[in-house]
Amino acid sequence: MCDITTVLSVDLLAQVLDWLHDSRDLKSCRLVSRAFLQAERMHRRAIRPLRLGPLPVLLRRYVGSLQSLDLSSCPSLDDSALSLSIPCPNNLRSVSLSRATGVTWRGLEVLVSVCPKIEAIDISHCVGFGDREAAAVAKACWLKELRIDKCLNVTDVGLAKVAVGCSRLEKLGIKWCFEISDIGIDLLVKKCLELRELDISYLKVGNESLRSIASLPKLEDLALVGCEYLDDEGLYFLSNGNCSLQSIDVSRCENVTSVGLTTLAEGQQRLRKINAGNCSPVLTSTFVSKLCTLGDTLIILKLDKLQLSASALEIVGKNCRNLFEIGLSKCNGVNDEGISWLVEGCTHLSTIDLTCCLLVTDKSLLSIAACCRGVKCLWLESCVLISEKGLDQIATCCTDLKEIDLTDCNVNDNALKCLSRCSELLVLKIGLCSGVSDIGLSFIGTNCSKLLELDLYRCTAITDDGLAAISNGCKRLKKLNLCYCNQISDTGLSHLQLEELSDLELRGMVRITSSGITAMAVGCRSLTQLDLKRCYSIDDAGMWALAQYTENLRQLTISYCTVTGLGLCHILGSLRCLQDVKMVHLSWVSIEGFELALRASCGKLKKVKLLGKLQDVLSPELLQTLQARGCRIRWVNKPLVFKG
Amino acid sequence: MKQTIGELGIELSSDSKMDLKLTRNSESFHNPNSSNYNLNSFNQAPQYFPNLSPTNFLSRAENLQQNLKTKSTNTFEPNLNSGMATQNPPLDWDPHAMLSNLSFLEQKIHEVQSLVQSIIEQQAEFSSRPSELATRQQLATADLTCIIIQLISTAGSLLPSIKNTLLSNNPALRQLVNPDFNNNLKCEGLMRNFPETAKNSEYEDLLRNLDNEADWMKEPNPPPESDIVDTNPIDEHDLKESDDGDAEREHLPPGSYIVLQLEKEEILAPHTHFCVICGKGFKRDANLRMHMRGHGDEYKTPAALAKPSKEPGSDAHPVTRYSCPFVGCKRNKEHKKFQPLKTILCVKNHYKRSHCDKSYTCSRCHAKKFSVIADLKTHEKHCGRDKWQCSCGTTFSRKDKLFGHVALFQGHTPALPMDEVKASGSGQGNDEMTEDLGGYNGNFASEECLTGMDVKGIDESRAYFSPMNFDGFGALDEFGRGGFDLEDNPFAFIPSGFGQRSGDS
Repeated sequence: MCDITTVLSVDLLAQVLDWLHDSRDLKSCRLVSRAFLQAERMHRRAIRPLRLGPLPVLLRRYVGSLQSLDLSSCPSLDDSALSLSIPCPNNLRSVSLSRATGVTWRGLEVLVSVCPKIEAIDISHCVGFGDREAAAVAKACWLKELRIDKCLNVTDVGLAKVAVGCSRLEKLGIKWCFEISDIGIDLLVKKCLELRELDISYLKVGNESLRSIASLPKLEDLALVGCEYLDDEGLYFLSNGNCSLQSIDVSRCENVTSVGLTTLAEGQQRLRKINAGNCSPVLTSTFVSKLCTLGDTLIILKLDKLQLSASALEIVGKNCRNLFEIGLSKCNGVNDEGISWLVEGCTHLSTIDLTCCLLVTDKSLLSIAACCRGVKCLWLESCVLISEKGLDQIATCCTDLKEIDLTDCNVNDNALKCLSRCSELLVLKIGLCSGVSDIGLSFIGTNCSKLLELDLYRCTAITDDGLAAISNGCKRLKKLNLCYCNQISDTGLSHLQLEELSDLELRGMVRITSSGITAMAVGCRSLTQLDLKRCYSIDDAGMWALAQYTENLRQLTISYCTVTGLGLCHILGSLRCLQDVKMVHLSWVSIEGFELALRASCGKLKKVKLLGKLQDVLSPELLQTLQARGCRIRWVNKPLVFKG
Repeated sequence: MKQTIGELGIELSSDSKMDLKLTRNSESFHNPNSSNYNLNSFNQAPQYFPNLSPTNFLSRAENLQQNLKTKSTNTFEPNLNSGMATQNPPLDWDPHAMLSNLSFLEQKIHEVQSLVQSIIEQQAEFSSRPSELATRQQLATADLTCIIIQLISTAGSLLPSIKNTLLSNNPALRQLVNPDFNNNLKCEGLMRNFPETAKNSEYEDLLRNLDNEADWMKEPNPPPESDIVDTNPIDEHDLKESDDGDAEREHLPPGSYIVLQLEKEEILAPHTHFCVICGKGFKRDANLRMHMRGHGDEYKTPAALAKPSKEPGSDAHPVTRYSCPFVGCKRNKEHKKFQPLKTILCVKNHYKRSHCDKSYTCSRCHAKKFSVIADLKTHEKHCGRDKWQCSCGTTFSRKDKLFGHVALFQGHTPALPMDEVKASGSGQGNDEMTEDLGGYNGNFASEECLTGMDVKGIDESRAYFSPMNFDGFGALDEFGRGGFDLEDNPFAFIPSGFGQRSGDS
């Protein structure tokens, strides 16, 4: 047999591989021949292991070329596992330890010392991390990118450590690090002059921080979401600062008004993205008129929950010709007239968010279809006045439509028939549309084969046949929501043979039993998230099937199921990737059952939701061990109520 | 009778203090209930006193209260109420309230009168039933007690009104008690300032005036008030601030003032006022004057007891400044660039600070020494608070100072607070972890040795934080004490005196 590598050399092959992004495609490629495997190995730059077990082998295989390592989905990652799994001479540039709650500063110190070239570290959502961890990270002096979002114990001291240690930082995320104050930000700004992106969302910092930040010469992207102590004065500092901002996010800053936004728009003429959603509800026309000075540069504008008149949208439409994305969610006063003015000017719009714009009717959809042919995402949740007439026009004109949200829009099968013409559709949300039936879904199943995400929340008219049509047609589906579709039975679930499905919600489907779950588990092996809350008929047999077939399951909700202690122990013990379990009101499980099950899974779990009453009866050692291993337990106090 | 009046006088003055104190209270806590509290404590004296009085008085007061309830009927209630309503706020003296109180007293006296009358009339009957006579007697006693209390509070209501006129005359004090400000700090200051002035000067003067049966009510500006104004600047806190360097700012031309130089012994003497007869030393002249009364009647005259007032011509006297007796000191008049000291207290503090041993050592750091005890106290307030440490070892009392330092110097970083090490070091799983890691990973030989760090961390954190906690408590204590001073002193006096007397009667 002729070796293909004689014609297709390894480096050429590597160039081909550059174009393959889907992990499944890469997998098939690896399986072609030894040479292909070799090429793929040399080409691979990043891995994201799901389990720790095979990690040392994997890393040894890729050690030369690997630059990026994402350990965020590994359960039971602790200091020893971390220091063991990272090979000593390596070229790692980026490591993600997001949600690695079992790791401590010691592990981080090892990581930093064995990866001399490391440039990016992500330790976000490690809620226990504090200054000591920050100090450990700060020893990576070449660091350019750091995320410490939601490391709740990081204070100004930790930030100062990072600022002094990593003076080359370009991107920094300190979202939700509530302890950080103006003093820390000020020092950061003085030490890290290279900062380009900064996220200080939800920090309790005041205008003084913005005065400091304004002096950063290279800052382009600034996120200030939910900084309640900032107001217009801070924006005034920003507008007069050294930096030439390209993107600013002041959404949810309660004290920021249009006055501040106006000064900002005057001072920062290169702004490309503005998110002013949920600021102060009144938007004076001065701000909108100032937007015209930004005119051509502005590409993203989000004005969620602001008061917008038709004339304001007219100004936006006339001036911001290059607008690419607009968010008008929950904007009072947005009507058909305003939308038509807007789209007439902004013909390049690709994403339009009209969530909860209650005045929007088919006329708006018609004008969007007429002007913005390239629209890709259309969010129309709760736009109750739209009908299949408008959607028909959208489907005809905007053939590139990829995402559409019609939740609670009362659409029917005819609308779905129209939409099914959009063969590029990736995301379709038709939750709460009780008019949608199997007929509508069959159109979708036949035509929208690329669909990745389908939301059928409370589409109560759907039966097993509709589900069959979907699972036969949309084979690439990754997310499927069937909550409260209570006509679907085991037969329907047995149709679910979706190899790529990773996220499945079956909440409140009272008719499904363990046999249905078994059939589904056999068909959907890559499931990582499964919600079976209030599926009252599911028992241990379902757990056995899940334990056996869905090895990658990471999040599981089995509250209110009729699982016994045996099933619980088995599933918690055998699923190696399981990290997040919600098991409230498992009335068939004894205290010993919980105790054993939690002991069996101890070390892997990062989040557990349990009934509050168990707090006193579970052994304190168990709870302590769980917490010491980085597991957060949420105690819920809810009465046991069965809902059909 | 004279004795009684004298004692009553004591009651009155001390009661007035209570009034004043209550007034301040209701001002400083902007609490809608405080006025109620004030009111209750004011007029329903029987209810208020028991809280602070010895038990014999307590039982008596309860008794009295019962009697009031059972015997004194509705006729008194409205009177009492009107009195309560009009006396609030107490700063404004209401003649109507006074009148109604007086008429209440009158009524009450009549009642007791008739009661006693009836006892006399029915004396024959009582001889057969002694128990009934005892009951009547008890009733009469209770009524009298009630009258006395009412009289005290009525008279007491006058005192703040005088006070008030003074306050309105003095802008500084008016600002101090301005009810508009909400600043707690100021209120604290006010409360801290108050007891001293009230205790030391005002009380004594009032007492004196009453003793001498002086008609103090008619005087618009009785001596005690001017005293308050005077004593304030000689408060210890102020002294420290107006330290040695005052004259520098004055730039008095040489020769425009008299230079006094006290001897070293004089400066260091603990007391400055000495009794010419027995030689006993006092810190305050007022105390000396009180002491002098024991040496004979000639020292009891109003003139002898009165505060030695400034002679009318005293302002014409040339300005007096002081020189330090230490030769070679800049504050010594022989020095080329002589800078005089402004007051005797400045001299004292300067001499102690500059030319004496520092004998007071801080009990926390055992390093800092002071010669002026007030300096030590100031230091102790802050000692141990330098918890902000830089990697270079420098410590700072404030975070922003540390961060300013870190910003200035290349490579300096804030040191990690030690409590965190402690927290992570004390974790259950951590020791195992350390062992585990030490077993198979040599990379841990990073700058901070693991176990060493832990031990050090815990020790240091103890050293760091225990004083701070201590300090916190200390501060609390101090504050609490301040409050007690205020409440205790004026009150401690009343019940005992009153209780005894009522017990005697």
